Amino acid sequence: MRPSHRMAAGQRNPDMRNPYLIYAAKRLLQAVAVILLAYLFTFVVVSILPGDPVTNVLRDPQNGFTEEQIQAIVAAQGLDQPIPVQLWTSLSHFLTGDFGLSMRSSRPVATLIAEVLPSTLILASAGLAVALVVAFAIAYGTQLVPTRFGGGALRALPSLFLSVPNFVIGLVLIHAFGFQLGLFRVIEPDSAWATAFAAIALGIPISAQIAEVLIANLDHEARQDYAAVARSRGLGQARLFARHLLKPSSLPVVTVIALTVGEVLGGSLITEAVFGRTGIGSLVQRSAAAQDLPVLQAVVALAALVFVLVNLVADLVYPLLDPRLTLVGPPRRRADTADDTAAADLRTVTG
Amino acid sequence: MAPQDGLTMLSPRAGSAPGRSPHPLLSVDGLSVAYGRQEVVRGVGFAIGRAESLALIGESGSGKSTIARAVLRLLPSGGHATGRVAFDGQDVLGLPERRFRPLRGRAIGFVPQDPGNALNPVRTIGAQAEEAAALLDEPDRARRTRLILDTFAEVGLDDPRRVYESYPHQLSGGMLQRVLIGLAVLPRPALLVADEPTSALDVTVQKRILDLLSRLQQERGIGLLLITHDLAIAAERADALVVLKDGTIQEAGRTAAVFAAPASGYARRLHADVPSLHPDRYAGLRDAGLRRSQAGGGAPKIAVSAVSKTFTVDGRSLRAVDDVSFTVPAGTTHALVGESGSGKTTTIRLLLGLEQPDSGEIRVAGEPVTGRSHEALRAVRRQLQLVYQNPFTSLDPTWKVEALVREPLDRFGIGTRRERADRVRAVLADVGLGEHLLSRRPDALSGGQRQRVAIARSLVLKPDVIVLDEPTSALDVSVQAGIVEVLLSLQAELGLTYVFVSHDLALVRQFAHTVSVMHRGRIVEHGTVPDLFGSPQHAYTAALLDAIPSGAAGRAGAPHRRTRAAVGEALTA
Repeated sequence: MRPSHRMAAGQRNPDMRNPYLIYAAKRLLQAVAVILLAYLFTFVVVSILPGDPVTNVLRDPQNGFTEEQIQAIVAAQGLDQPIPVQLWTSLSHFLTGDFGLSMRSSRPVATLIAEVLPSTLILASAGLAVALVVAFAIAYGTQLVPTRFGGGALRALPSLFLSVPNFVIGLVLIHAFGFQLGLFRVIEPDSAWATAFAAIALGIPISAQIAEVLIANLDHEARQDYAAVARSRGLGQARLFARHLLKPSSLPVVTVIALTVGEVLGGSLITEAVFGRTGIGSLVQRSAAAQDLPVLQAVVALAALVFVLVNLVADLVYPLLDPRLTLVGPPRRRADTADDTAAADLRTVTG
Repeated sequence: MAPQDGLTMLSPRAGSAPGRSPHPLLSVDGLSVAYGRQEVVRGVGFAIGRAESLALIGESGSGKSTIARAVLRLLPSGGHATGRVAFDGQDVLGLPERRFRPLRGRAIGFVPQDPGNALNPVRTIGAQAEEAAALLDEPDRARRTRLILDTFAEVGLDDPRRVYESYPHQLSGGMLQRVLIGLAVLPRPALLVADEPTSALDVTVQKRILDLLSRLQQERGIGLLLITHDLAIAAERADALVVLKDGTIQEAGRTAAVFAAPASGYARRLHADVPSLHPDRYAGLRDAGLRRSQAGGGAPKIAVSAVSKTFTVDGRSLRAVDDVSFTVPAGTTHALVGESGSGKTTTIRLLLGLEQPDSGEIRVAGEPVTGRSHEALRAVRRQLQLVYQNPFTSLDPTWKVEALVREPLDRFGIGTRRERADRVRAVLADVGLGEHLLSRRPDALSGGQRQRVAIARSLVLKPDVIVLDEPTSALDVSVQAGIVEVLLSLQAELGLTYVFVSHDLALVRQFAHTVSVMHRGRIVEHGTVPDLFGSPQHAYTAALLDAIPSGAAGRAGAPHRRTRAAVGEALTA
């Protein structure tokens, strides 16, 4: 229902063709620019830093390459080319998803990542889903459960969750549900049950941050005039929560989710280790131990990409939650004058 | 208590109509409201008959809004009401929420104070209107929407479809208040509680909204509980008045009786403080200032000539100030009058050098303000001070009064420590504040005290000109009276020149010597106060003057008020 109003309102505005699409296109371009700049920055920093992989690996006496072999490899990798040419080559490889070969296993980096990425993505998104469900459930409870039935105790949950690290939660879950209750076999970490418990371990600390922001905002919105006025129209608590309070309170939650992406990623690496799953975490672990630079670079690039994408999504969601955000042009103060032109349209029909 | 008997007598329809409930529509008995230990309403009682209106009058803190909230059962958490509130004979205070909820909206409607905050900003007006429409026994969705659009048209909204599809921020305050009134009357309640429904609106909009409320109340036979701080509005719009102070009733009775001959000292004071009822209250002080100015030759202190300023908003250019000229003789008060968006704020920003005009020139004491560097303006600013509209936000809450008032002296490096402290004390005495307030922070001051501190701060540099930007619009009428008196006696004593920005013409009449009426960036009329108020030439000025609530039922209100008053007279006779 609501989107159709929005479209209709948009159509009535002839001089601005769908401002949301213009806004989205601008954000998308910005995101691409950020990724390219990040890549350029990393490349420049790496080429300025002393030492290089050629010296580190090829000239290592243990590997026993001859000078001719070394020169051949350098030429094959294009490392004798000028820096701008190298940048262009590496950027075009990067854009086509070609991250070169792993130094440890000599397999393409892209293949290595593609093997483990789904597992991590499943864990991370399941963890985020758990975090959202738990956070919204707690927040819903604080608004609707009367204090005498434990509504107040719910407010203490986020700080409790926040103070327990996710690996502790993971170990407790493995012990209780894996060993004691036998719900899942600990040696089969990719089974559905094991994945679910890993997601719970990952999601709970993150849910605490979301819940805290959400509760504070719900409390704030519930004190606003419009909430009292809506109640005077006969709305009950549950409807007030669902129809009025949730949407304006969700805006800061979007920001928090965008900020916790790093935590979700970092947390999934730890959770993978605790539950013994293969994933980006185990790949990073092995590659770091072996100084496998191409793999590490690709993972860092991937993480940067995820960050940029999540923030892009957050930017695209804001205007859908709050129609007051100006999509095009600089933000402006609520102009008296704009108000006045609207007031001038106002005519008392019957008075 | 006597009031109840006096008021129930007022409901002839309830008593005479056969088949109607014998109970008054709303009767409140011994109502007390407490927040924790602190009792804010004590033993209040009144009654409203069907299709009757009653106004609760009082200053901020008198408990009038708390009573409204208690009747609506919308007290904030921590608030606890005792006593009896009976709607159509049924006690509602003791009802569980589940049994009271069916009465919400359907039987008791609510029009809130600040229309800007009373609708959910992230939902369309239509989505919120559907909630009110859901209270009607109308299963067909399309027909419900039709009813909403009809109601919007009835409350005077031009394009109901557009309003339905809009978000609250896309409408003006006046339109939002119409929407809220529409939503309140849509489920056809028997009682409407309106909590200061116009205090956030311009005068002309206020008049239209009050006319609308009166008309709906008449046509639909709604009982109205009107909460207001303005005695003139209450007298104009209500059959009965209840005057409150500190949570207790000071006086209650029929409007004509209370208004014409207030019995309690407090009601008399409220009456005396309404500017529109006493245009010459400060004539002595005001004319003393004028005489002093004329004796000094009356040379223009401020000369604004042909000033224009254009802003660009969303690619549209908007002429905020259009060829504005006026002069202010030294030692007099010039009022800039107009509604929001009329350009008065931009004009004073130009005068203070905060914006540069596109064309034209402004001179203060012969020195140009326009086209000067920041450094050069500093010298002018010493002569030119501003008192801001809202004393609740214009003072840094972490500073003490002493530092707040002293700061301008520090900034301009005037005098020794000792001299500055003496000057701060002297200037506080000038505005009527005692020395014991020096170490207080703004939180510990009342609104009137805060505005006095703001005035002291603007006076401390001994300026010649003070720009007063709606200095009393955030304050109660009785507090306003004190501030006006302080400002006028300072003018008479020190020969200050004031530029006074206001939308309240009644106050302007008490306070100013000359007036410019602004409308859409232009000055449409200017002149001396007696000339302009005696015979307004421009239609807009006449509309503004007509919008002043005078308290006289029938004079400023809609025609039907006259008949109602006549009916009231006939009843008492």
